[in-house]
Amino acid sequence: MTPEDPHDAVVVGSGAGGAMAAWMLTKAGASVLMLEAGRDYSPDESPMLNMAMDAPLRGVGTPDKEFGYYDATVDGGWSMPGEPYTMAEGSEFMWWRSRMLGGRTNHWARNSFRMGPYDFKPKTRDGLGYDWPVSYEDMAPWYDRTEKLVGVYGSNDGLENHPNSGPGVLQPPPKFRVWETFLKAGGDAINVPVVAARRAIITKKIDERSPCYWASGCGRGCSIGAAFQTTTSLIPWAKKTGKLTIATGAMVYEVLLDTSGKATGVRYIDKATGTHKEAKGRVVVLAASTGETARILLNSQVPGRSEGLANSSGQVGRNLMDTVGSNISAWFPQLEGRPRYNEDGAMGLHAYIPFWDYKRIQSGEVDTPRGYHVEIGGSFGDPGMGVGSGLDGYGSSLRADVKRRYGARIGFTQRGEMIPNANSFCSIDTNTKDKFGIPVLKFNFAWADHELKQVKHFQNAMKELIDKLGGTLVSEPADPAKAISKGGEIIHEVGTARMGADARDSVTNQFGKTWDVDNLYITDGSVFASKAHKNPTITIMALAMRSSDNIATRLRTGEL
Amino acid sequence: MTKDLITIDRRVTLKWLMGAMAVGQLAACGDQAKGLSWPEMEAIKAAGIGKDPDFTNIATPWPLTMTQAELETTAELVDLILPGEGDIPAPSKVGVPAFINEWVSAPYPDQHKDRVLIINGLKWLDDESKVRNGVPFIRAEARAQTAILDDIAFKDRVKEGLDKPAAFFARMRSLTLGAFYTTREGWADIGYMGNTPGTGDYAGPTPEAAAHIKGVIEAMGLNYTPA
Repeated sequence: MTPEDPHDAVVVGSGAGGAMAAWMLTKAGASVLMLEAGRDYSPDESPMLNMAMDAPLRGVGTPDKEFGYYDATVDGGWSMPGEPYTMAEGSEFMWWRSRMLGGRTNHWARNSFRMGPYDFKPKTRDGLGYDWPVSYEDMAPWYDRTEKLVGVYGSNDGLENHPNSGPGVLQPPPKFRVWETFLKAGGDAINVPVVAARRAIITKKIDERSPCYWASGCGRGCSIGAAFQTTTSLIPWAKKTGKLTIATGAMVYEVLLDTSGKATGVRYIDKATGTHKEAKGRVVVLAASTGETARILLNSQVPGRSEGLANSSGQVGRNLMDTVGSNISAWFPQLEGRPRYNEDGAMGLHAYIPFWDYKRIQSGEVDTPRGYHVEIGGSFGDPGMGVGSGLDGYGSSLRADVKRRYGARIGFTQRGEMIPNANSFCSIDTNTKDKFGIPVLKFNFAWADHELKQVKHFQNAMKELIDKLGGTLVSEPADPAKAISKGGEIIHEVGTARMGADARDSVTNQFGKTWDVDNLYITDGSVFASKAHKNPTITIMALAMRSSDNIATRLRTGEL
Repeated sequence: MTKDLITIDRRVTLKWLMGAMAVGQLAACGDQAKGLSWPEMEAIKAAGIGKDPDFTNIATPWPLTMTQAELETTAELVDLILPGEGDIPAPSKVGVPAFINEWVSAPYPDQHKDRVLIINGLKWLDDESKVRNGVPFIRAEARAQTAILDDIAFKDRVKEGLDKPAAFFARMRSLTLGAFYTTREGWADIGYMGNTPGTGDYAGPTPEAAAHIKGVIEAMGLNYTPA
């Protein structure tokens, strides 16, 4: 089939949510047209074993390639020529886009922490934010299916609000490295857990994908298929069914409706020719990303209404959330000069610190309502352009200092929950259009006191851990208001079309079906009703799988 | 000779004159080239890497801008920062000066800041050496070179008035270490053993590395429980 032919489903986007929908629907026998705004891409393009020395400027980030020369993201980043976004006075927001087949799954860190029972019912627990229309128990089987399909390494530690996976679901995690075992010793002594991380990386062969070979940064894309991305898995699998048609360079800007208010397809700009085209389907699935999905809905014209599409609740664009981020790092004299060995491992977390202080939140001893986890780094890696940071002098003593400090510094990165607030949302900037003539998004963003207090909790807890291990801070952490990341900076933005139990205050039902349009679904991060501290991608995929199952059933029964 | 002088453009003559005045000022303020300014430079306008570079044909698209003299001074300086030792080559032997040229010539804001610092800093080094020793930095005696570095290389004892040269030196040190330790020779020196694909499970710490951390942890009165 060609993009001009009507399909059973039109899926907008090829990242975590779009590709999962395409795989589930094609597997169920439906024909799917996938529209991707960027170019075709495969990680076969990635020079897996190239190193900094082989790249311009030793591979450091530049305004062209902000996450470094080898980052898989092409035609994207914080800024894109001709495709601006704007910010309200006093707001700062950073919006990472990956205009390419596979979207942001090509470069993500693969950290895959499933949400727990508290995370789905946050309002019930503390009165803040908004409950999901699903519970953890509803989601558990879908997490199991997703983790099994994707391939996630990790361990089941039975920790509060960090649920175990089902039997046989997880892949074995890689061994801890020396500095991770060192941290665990400190954590054990002060009751801060240091446990195996969960990442979408396979350590045992499944299907045609090879297990991790313990080298090559995952962010550059993984041509052997060990680190999960849709371009080596869901998309090729969907293609194999013979039911998937992909159009790249297709910039969708509007959902089309018939006179009864049913979606008939979408309108897009074919970037190669500059022409406006229409794609038709029985069901439309938006998975264009939290920002772009909201933008498409708000830019869609609905006769007789001014608020955009699927927005009778007024919630489209609202409840914009990102992960709370901040950093601390420390030198550990006990790690200086430690014996060398290959610590590349899975090129990311083998261990992490899940949130542990739930009891003291409930008792009121802790003054921040929601938790965070800590991602840690301290391996012997390619030394990189930062190897001389903090060093002094010159000559042979400088060489000795470099070698002494190599592998003796550990970085602690907070990843925390944000509670939705009235000051954080996106809307259409009616004064600004992109190079295609599509009105752009304007962001409003503000952290609240909850998040700042959480940063303080993190800073104090890490200082205690560092102290227990005899470390010294590289620098005293800044005041939380200064230490906290900018909105969007952690690239976990979610919430702009939240799901809920009530059509009056949410955009979709529990299956991502918009309340206002019976055959319009959303399967990306925009449907999140809260932003737990857990990295969102695995949850996006689990929800997309569950929602797509619902779509497939309704297609089969002729309801759609 | 006379003819040559006449054909020289008036702007060049002025530059000479100002140079001569500057030397006069230098001489007047004693043993340091502190009168020098660190002028802003025009941003480089050249093609960058782009949003979608071709990984099958990796190239640095911008023209290199350092002069031969600047490169020679750079080579001298980077080798003083991290002298070769035994089998470990000096930075100038593994392309560090060429890397610094690539860096300061890049059409990006961070690199532009470094360019201003480094090109002016290299000039300062020469001027300072001329004032102190009567010759450019590369022709000064080793002891005379390190005497200059000692005034700018240690953050707690930067000589008064030399904050800019000290910032220049710190940046050169950082670039030199980064550039050197990302070479194979630098890996051998520091002990980076990765980027080597393997099969099977991740090997984890060697027995020596494991025994070491066990000793460290237990000496701190903590429990060693590898996972």
